[in-house]
Amino acid sequence: MAEFTLRLRRYDPESGEAAYWDEHTIDLEPHRSVLEGILQARARFDGSIGIRCSCRAAICGSCGVRINGQPALACHTHLDQAMKGARDGVIEIEPMGNMPVLKDLIVDMDAVHWKKVRRVTPWLINKEPIPEREYIVPHEAMVDVTQSMACIQCGACVSDCLSMEVDPLFIGPAALAKAYRFVGDPRDAQHSERLNDLAQDPHGIYDCTHCFKCIEACPKGVAPMSQIMRLRRISGRDHGIVDANNGERHEIAFTNLVRDHGLLWEAELLPRSYGGDSWLAKFGPAAGRELLSSLPVIGKALLRGKVTPMGALKAHKLPDEDLQQVKRIYATVEGRDEAERYELNLYISGYDEDMEGAEGPPPDAAAAGAQGGDGGMAGAESGQPGQSPERSPSR
Amino acid sequence: MKVAYWPGCVSRGFTPELHGSMAKVAPLLDIELVELDRASCCGAGVIAEHNQELADTLNARTFALAQQVEGAELMMNICSTCQGAQTECQERLDASADYRAHVNETLGEHGLHYEKGLSNKNFLWLLVEEMGLDELRSRVKQPLTDLRVGPFYGCYIVRPTDRLGIDDLKPRDTYLAQVIEALGGTVIEYAGAYKCCGFPIITMNKEVSLKQAGRHLGDAVDQGADCLVTPCPLCHLNLDLQQPLAEKAVNRTLNMPVLHLPQLVGLALGLEPKELGLQQHIVKPTSVIDWSTSVVAGV
Amino acid sequence: MPSHDVLIIGAGLAGQRAALAAADAGASVAILSKVHPVRSHSVAAAGGINAALKPQDTWESHAYDTVKGSDFLGDQDAIEIMCREAPDELLHLEHIGVTFHRNDAGELGTRAFGGASAARTYYVADITGQAILHVLYEQITKYHETVDSYEEWFTTSLVQDDEGTCVGCVARDIRTGEMELFNAKSVILASGGNGQTFKPTTNALICTGDGIAQAYAIGAPLMDMEMVQYHPTTLTENGFLITEGARGEGAHLLNSDGERFMEKYAPNKMELASRDVVSRAEQTEINEGRGIGPDGGGLYLDVTVVPRKRTLEALREIVNIGKDFAGTDITREPISIRPGQHYIMGGVKTDVHGQVPTVAGLYAAGEVACVSVHGGNRLGANSLLDTLIFGRRAGQHAAQRSRAMPMPTTPTSRLRQDLEHIDAIIARDRSGRRISEIKDELGTMMNRNVAVYRDADGLATAHETVRRLKEDATTAYIDDRGTVFNQDVLGAIELGYMLDTAQATVVAAIERKESRGAQFRTDFPERNDDEWLKHIDISRNGDDEPHVTHSPVTMTQWEPEERKY
Repeated sequence: MAEFTLRLRRYDPESGEAAYWDEHTIDLEPHRSVLEGILQARARFDGSIGIRCSCRAAICGSCGVRINGQPALACHTHLDQAMKGARDGVIEIEPMGNMPVLKDLIVDMDAVHWKKVRRVTPWLINKEPIPEREYIVPHEAMVDVTQSMACIQCGACVSDCLSMEVDPLFIGPAALAKAYRFVGDPRDAQHSERLNDLAQDPHGIYDCTHCFKCIEACPKGVAPMSQIMRLRRISGRDHGIVDANNGERHEIAFTNLVRDHGLLWEAELLPRSYGGDSWLAKFGPAAGRELLSSLPVIGKALLRGKVTPMGALKAHKLPDEDLQQVKRIYATVEGRDEAERYELNLYISGYDEDMEGAEGPPPDAAAAGAQGGDGGMAGAESGQPGQSPERSPSR
Repeated sequence: MKVAYWPGCVSRGFTPELHGSMAKVAPLLDIELVELDRASCCGAGVIAEHNQELADTLNARTFALAQQVEGAELMMNICSTCQGAQTECQERLDASADYRAHVNETLGEHGLHYEKGLSNKNFLWLLVEEMGLDELRSRVKQPLTDLRVGPFYGCYIVRPTDRLGIDDLKPRDTYLAQVIEALGGTVIEYAGAYKCCGFPIITMNKEVSLKQAGRHLGDAVDQGADCLVTPCPLCHLNLDLQQPLAEKAVNRTLNMPVLHLPQLVGLALGLEPKELGLQQHIVKPTSVIDWSTSVVAGV
Repeated sequence: MPSHDVLIIGAGLAGQRAALAAADAGASVAILSKVHPVRSHSVAAAGGINAALKPQDTWESHAYDTVKGSDFLGDQDAIEIMCREAPDELLHLEHIGVTFHRNDAGELGTRAFGGASAARTYYVADITGQAILHVLYEQITKYHETVDSYEEWFTTSLVQDDEGTCVGCVARDIRTGEMELFNAKSVILASGGNGQTFKPTTNALICTGDGIAQAYAIGAPLMDMEMVQYHPTTLTENGFLITEGARGEGAHLLNSDGERFMEKYAPNKMELASRDVVSRAEQTEINEGRGIGPDGGGLYLDVTVVPRKRTLEALREIVNIGKDFAGTDITREPISIRPGQHYIMGGVKTDVHGQVPTVAGLYAAGEVACVSVHGGNRLGANSLLDTLIFGRRAGQHAAQRSRAMPMPTTPTSRLRQDLEHIDAIIARDRSGRRISEIKDELGTMMNRNVAVYRDADGLATAHETVRRLKEDATTAYIDDRGTVFNQDVLGAIELGYMLDTAQATVVAAIERKESRGAQFRTDFPERNDDEWLKHIDISRNGDDEPHVTHSPVTMTQWEPEERKY
């Protein structure tokens, strides 16, 4: 047993007073959860502490809170683990962000989270005809959408979404992951309609700022941002949807500029993102408007010598031989048809080390080890395949 | 220390002062930079969004080139976005022998081959993990005494923590603060340090993008920062280049200088603001130059 | 006053399935739940759902396994219906979008489960309950025009008209504290079991037996209440569930000698014998000193014999549970488990349409109900099936029943009484015990005396304790005086439900003087078909005391026989 002090953010909507901090010291084994700590405080000291909770095992999704500023399930965070993040030796527990607080640690998920889920037509629209028995679909496809199905709707990702913080209308990570669950499901008949809807919405898939907050927040490995990126990929590449938000144009302009120059050419990227993927794009009306609004910035950049007219007009480019290599890589990889594509999803495939059954690092450690200092540029030094000292010896 | 040096695209494009300042700072830290001038853009997550295998193959090519540099201890980058985008590709390449073989087949055409286990570190990580803060401290000529610096990490270098190897042993999400302190500066805590600058959606939702930048800059102003420092040139674009527009988006005057990490290190190592290209920033780093002048005067 | 043809209380699998079925049958529907529907405890069901869908499998085989699993206490007419309708129900789930595991040919694939003579368990990794629950909720969202969803509404009472017909309920909007009378032609209880009367339990904090107690209070009989399932694999650490899917995938149980002890108890089915058999074997090993851990209270579950790739894909959730809650990587080392309270076979007695025999207008389905398809012991992966089959049947029947009826008028007296009751709890002075204290004592006591092994003395102690705690509960106090999210006062009401249902369990266990299924009496260690091949029904008959009666077991084609695995 050990003592822990919890600092709870309390709010009583009936009191007419502002939120305040409330501290309780509880007594539990260090590997017990923060939720158990809160429940002990509630049982022993103050039954009015408000928190939603039910399963205690990270499956019902009720107890999303912020612990020391980070979104988490209270039942899924050990007290000792929480202590590490405690700034002054006190574990600080607040309601989730981006959603209005109803009481204490309870937020209004319906007003934000569930409203956004309803926005994405969250049910299967069956491909016809519905078979007499089951739909025959690839094993991998079902595992793939099960990653999104693993979402327990706890709201941790919504709490931390940086786009939503600034743009409350953003559909957001949880709802878009839910959308992928249908777009990735071969039994759904409306992939194209769904994607078009989400791509054209100014607060849709192209409103995600790619900050990884949702991936970090998710207690279930759903990786909402990765699902959003897949929605973009499928939208543009497989359904040819060119959205009104410059999302697809930007993606194509970026990809093709790197193909043609090997490196990014920023001065050309912006106009093409607005006007389309050609040198002429900058003279199009959309690009023109954008350039006009950016004139003060461009002027200043030129004035400061940050950007020279020559530098802006002429791309830096790779040497010819290397550029040819890059172009050949593009030709090979972009040339693959749908059946030949190899889009590795580690959620499905797992890590080699884990599959070998030998003594190897767990996935997290493996990822860390991949760029850890000790190994150095193992491959280059040893010159032999797979001789990285940090890796599984059994391969 | 000899490193295979990947400067990235933006440090040679819209933020040339980054690449320039790194070149000035490296010899003072005994870092030998062997520039990977044959490598291509990391894709910044955008190419991966279009075609994951394409991004993985382009970066595998970069890694293979890095592994060919004789005597280099590791690959070093100076861009949070490169770090994040490349690490994501490397995670996949290192996780699956089958996939690695598939990608290497494409590279094989050009006589290139990636071996798993490359060490690729941002200059920030290298300072703390390879050089060590004590060593860095010992090389400081003009401690940043009284300079109040707000760290701005950039998303790609702090999340997701497991992929980036951030844990208790390697608290990489605290390194910027540690480096500022080692250089003698004062770390300013403010709400925006780990948030998104907004740059990735500047062409898609400009208003939201600029508001993001504006808010973080405003938070730093409110906490009394003299300047921000960032290891990410893309953040720099939104925080500095776009700052005049960000001011309009949040409807307040900001005037917050934003330094690249090598510039801040350079100042402490005794280099002149001008040598480090500070005058090329859109927001005049008046507070930093004033500090620099007063230090010089004080000496 | 909200008025609907069909009012459903509880929004887990049974409740949501009932709502959709009733809506499909043309009824106006309300579904009311004290938690958001996806928080319902069905979400925790891990392993899968049984159906004889493969061409070489038969529903008769599934039914026989279920009858045998029930130790011949299950009603065979109901079991036949459940097993016969299982394949179509499973295909329906597949069609509305459940992401069931596929084999290499892209067809539905199965895993083995306990007590089954064929691999007929269909699954989504080890989140089957979650996957089905969330897909049903997708459908509830789709049906928003015909199904009104009242989320976070706490039912305080069922309401009857002068003839005793159930015509609605009183409920409290947890968010505002407002009390409301809900008017309905038919009411379906789907509010789950009462696992929280035991401590520890695999059950969620919300499983407090609300519906069982509410039905019991208005005269509905409870049946098979003595049959409490202890799951063979719960974490020694904290009682969390480790799915039977682990043993389905081939995991072993080992004692402190490293012996695969199930050889002694069930030489054929080994770890995949029925749950009562495996839990009893484990308890015997523990009692005889072959347990592991500091107090010898656990045993090893060894998942390392399952190929890692398979474990990581098919048992992802328990890999995480092991890592997060026990610090054990189950793919690399055995994990310490013990039997733990998991499920109640008993509940509100119903017919095969979900109708409660003595209360017109009232239905029950799922764990709250006792049809009885599980009898003395439920087979793994039959509970999801039970909720869906009988949830659907209740929804359809209730919709049909309501079709020709006028909307009844609901008396408002109950609303007033419940308001006063809540006000009285809030106003209690702080001289009694704390609610949490009573709840703790109840759970610990039940787990000691009404567990895998029982005897007359322990059960008598249990009954004495429950009576005392019921007394204590009348003066127990709470802290929260507010209306918005006053979870404290709801906790006090739940405690009352728990005590009522616990009492029924204890009384039934005292009554059954034999060992059958989950009830093992050390003082009556044999099954006694001559005297006890019958259900025990408990009713209140208008007062606060449980009255015991018996009812026959329905048999169609399977005579009782010795039960061996």
